[in-house]
Amino acid sequence: MDFSHSLSLILPEIVLSVAGLVLLLVAAWGGDKTSRAITIASCVVLAACFAIVAPSVCAAAMGPDTVAFGGQFTADAFAGIAKLMIFAAAGAALVIAPAFFGRYGIMRAEYPVLILFSTLGMAIMVSATDLMTLYIGLELQSLAAYVLASFLRTDDRSAEAGLKYFVLGALASGILLFGMSLVYGFTGTTDFGGIRAALSGGMATGALFGIVFVLAGLAFKISAVPFHMWTPDVYEGAPTPVTAFFASAPKVAAIALTARVALDAFGAQAGAWQQVVIFAALASIVVGALGAIGQANVKRLLAYSSINNVGFILIGLATGTAEGVSAMLVYLAIYVAMTVGSFVAVLMLRNAEGEALEAISDMAGLSRTKPLLALCLAMLMFSLAGIPPLFGFWGKFVVFQAAVQADMVALAAIGIAASVIGAFYYIKIVKIMYFDEPANVVQGRSDWAHWALLAISTAAMSPLGYLLTPWLGELADGAAAALFLAA
Amino acid sequence: MDLIQYLPILIFLGIALGLSGLFVFLPMGVARLTGAHNPHADKLSEYECGFPAFEDPRSQFDVRFYLIAILFIVFDLEAAFLFPWAVSLDLTGWPGWITMMVFLFELTVGLAYAWKKGALEWE
Amino acid sequence: MIGVEHYVVVSSILFVLGVLGIFLNRKNIIVILMAIELILLAVNLNLVAFSAFLNDLTGQVFAMFVLTVAAGEAAIGLAILVIYYRSRGTIAVDDVNRMKG
Repeated sequence: MDFSHSLSLILPEIVLSVAGLVLLLVAAWGGDKTSRAITIASCVVLAACFAIVAPSVCAAAMGPDTVAFGGQFTADAFAGIAKLMIFAAAGAALVIAPAFFGRYGIMRAEYPVLILFSTLGMAIMVSATDLMTLYIGLELQSLAAYVLASFLRTDDRSAEAGLKYFVLGALASGILLFGMSLVYGFTGTTDFGGIRAALSGGMATGALFGIVFVLAGLAFKISAVPFHMWTPDVYEGAPTPVTAFFASAPKVAAIALTARVALDAFGAQAGAWQQVVIFAALASIVVGALGAIGQANVKRLLAYSSINNVGFILIGLATGTAEGVSAMLVYLAIYVAMTVGSFVAVLMLRNAEGEALEAISDMAGLSRTKPLLALCLAMLMFSLAGIPPLFGFWGKFVVFQAAVQADMVALAAIGIAASVIGAFYYIKIVKIMYFDEPANVVQGRSDWAHWALLAISTAAMSPLGYLLTPWLGELADGAAAALFLAA
Repeated sequence: MDLIQYLPILIFLGIALGLSGLFVFLPMGVARLTGAHNPHADKLSEYECGFPAFEDPRSQFDVRFYLIAILFIVFDLEAAFLFPWAVSLDLTGWPGWITMMVFLFELTVGLAYAWKKGALEWE
Repeated sequence: MIGVEHYVVVSSILFVLGVLGIFLNRKNIIVILMAIELILLAVNLNLVAFSAFLNDLTGQVFAMFVLTVAAGEAAIGLAILVIYYRSRGTIAVDDVNRMKG
C-alpha cells in the first residue's frame, strides 16, 4: 500500500490534528479573549472535515482502496457516516458553548481545542481496524473528555463529575485492554481481519474471556447496562454544553466502534457476543426507563434517557445483519439530533439572573410563559418517546423491523413493551409544562445560536423529518454494506 | 495453531481470580471474626499526648511539585519511543524519520503550551 | 520451566487486585490512581509475555503505547484530583457524593 495513498485517506484526521495544535498555541499566546475566534475557527475546521468525508459516504466507499497503513486504519463509508455525525455533534457543542460559559466569566480558549482533540480521537476510533489504533483513538477521546467534564474548575459538581468520569473511564480502558491482551495472546494478532481468521476455526475459552472483557470495556464507554452507573452523575455534574457533547458524539463513536469490533474482528464467533449484546440491550432499555421515573433533575433524566436509547441502538447491532446495522445507523442519526436539541432546550432554561435551571419542577407551566420553547421541548420529548407522527418513531421502527427480519421477534416484542414504559416519563415532562401551575422562574432571552440549533433539531424531529428517510436509509445501507464487505 | 494447549491457562485464570479475591477478603474476614469491631470516636482519633490534634498529621506538600512531576512523567515516557525508533531506522527509512520528527514537533508544541502557561516557572 | 501461563496467572492476579483496589478502597483517591496503574501494568505484562511466546513484536509495540498513554492518563488524573482538592478540600473517597439519585 502506497504511503501517500494512506496519507490521503487520513486527510480529515490530519486537518483536525494540525488545526488543534495551531489553535492550542493561539490559545496559549492570545489568552481567553481569543476564545471567540478559536471557536469560529474550530467550527470552520469541523465543517471542512465534514466536507472531506461526505463524498466517501455518498459514494459508499468500501473495499481495499479504503484501507490505510497496512490494515491499521480504514476510511470506508461506515467510518464516514459515523464521522459525519461526530463532526456535526461536535460543531453543535461548540456553537452552544459561548453563551453558557459567558455567565461564568469569560469562556476559556482551551474549550474548542479540547473538543477538536476529542473529535480527532473519535475519528480515529471509528476508522480503527487494529486493536492498537482503536486504543490510541479511544484514549485520545477519553483524555480530552475527562478534562472537559471538569472544565468549570470552580464548580465542585464539575470537579466531582470529572473525577468520577476519570476513575470509571480509566477502569473501563483497563478492562478493555486486558481483553485485548487476551485476544492478542490467543489469536496471535491485533489486526481485525487476522483475529477473524484466527477465530473462524474455533475459539479457545481464553479468547472468549478476551471478547467478553473487550465488550465489557466498550459497554462502559457507551454506558450500556450493567456498566452505566457513572452516566447520571457525570451528565449532571459536567457543564451542560459538555454534557450535550458526551451524550452525542462519543456515543456515536463508541457504538460504531463496538459494531466494527463485534462484526469484523469477532464476526466469526457471532454466537459468543450476540448473547452479551442482547442482554445489554434489554437491560439498558429497562433500567433506562425505570431509572428515569424518579428523577427531579432534567440532566439526570436525559442521562437515563440516553441509557434507554442505547438499548434500542444495541438491538440493531444484536441482529448481526446488514439490515440491523443500517437500522442502527439511522437510529443513531435521529438520536444525535434529538439529544442535541433536548440539551439545547435545557440550556435555555434560565432564571432572571441568568442562572441555569435544572430542576424539572422549574419547567412547570412553561407553555404559558415561553410557549415556543415549551412546544419545541414537547416535540423533542414525544420524539424521544417514539410517538408516531414524530421522526423519533422512525428510528425505533427500523430497529424493530430489522430485529423481526432477523427472527428475533421476542427481542422486538420486549423492546416495544419497554418503550411504552419509557414513554411515561417523557409524557410526564410534557404534562408538567402544559398542565401545571406556572412556576414563572424561566425568564430572559436566549442566545440566537441556541434558538437556531433548537429550531433545526425540532424541524428534523417533526413529521418533516420523514422526507429524509430515503436519503438517510440509502447512506446507512451503503455504510452497512461497507462494514459487511470487510467482515 | 492448536488452541487446546491454552486450556490450562484458563484453569489458571480461574485460580488467579479466586486466589486474588482470597488475598483481599481473607484478612478482612479474619479481622472481622477475631478482632472486636466496635469503632468509637475516641478510638478512631489520633493520639496526641492527651489533647486534641491541632492539625492533620500528614504533612502537605507544595502543589508545584505535582505540576513538575506530571510534566516530567509525560515527556519522559514519550521519549521512550525514541529507542525502538533509533535502532530500527535502517528499516523504516525516510518515512520513519519524518514521522518521528512530526511526533517530536507535536511534543514541542505541548512543551511550548506548558511554558507559555507558566507551568515551568517555580515562582 | 516457566511457561506463558505463569505470566498470565501473575497478570490476572495483578488485574483482579487492581479492580478490587478501585472498588474496595474507601480511603483515598490516590490509591485508586495506583490501582489503575496496576491494571495497566498487568496488561503490559500480558502483552509482553504473549509477544515473547508468540515470537511476534506486535505485543511489545502495543505495550509501549500502553505505557505512554498510561503516563498521560496518570497526569490527567492527578490534575483533576488537584482541581477536586481545591474545590472540596479533601480527597477521601467517601466524600465523593455531591450528586446522588
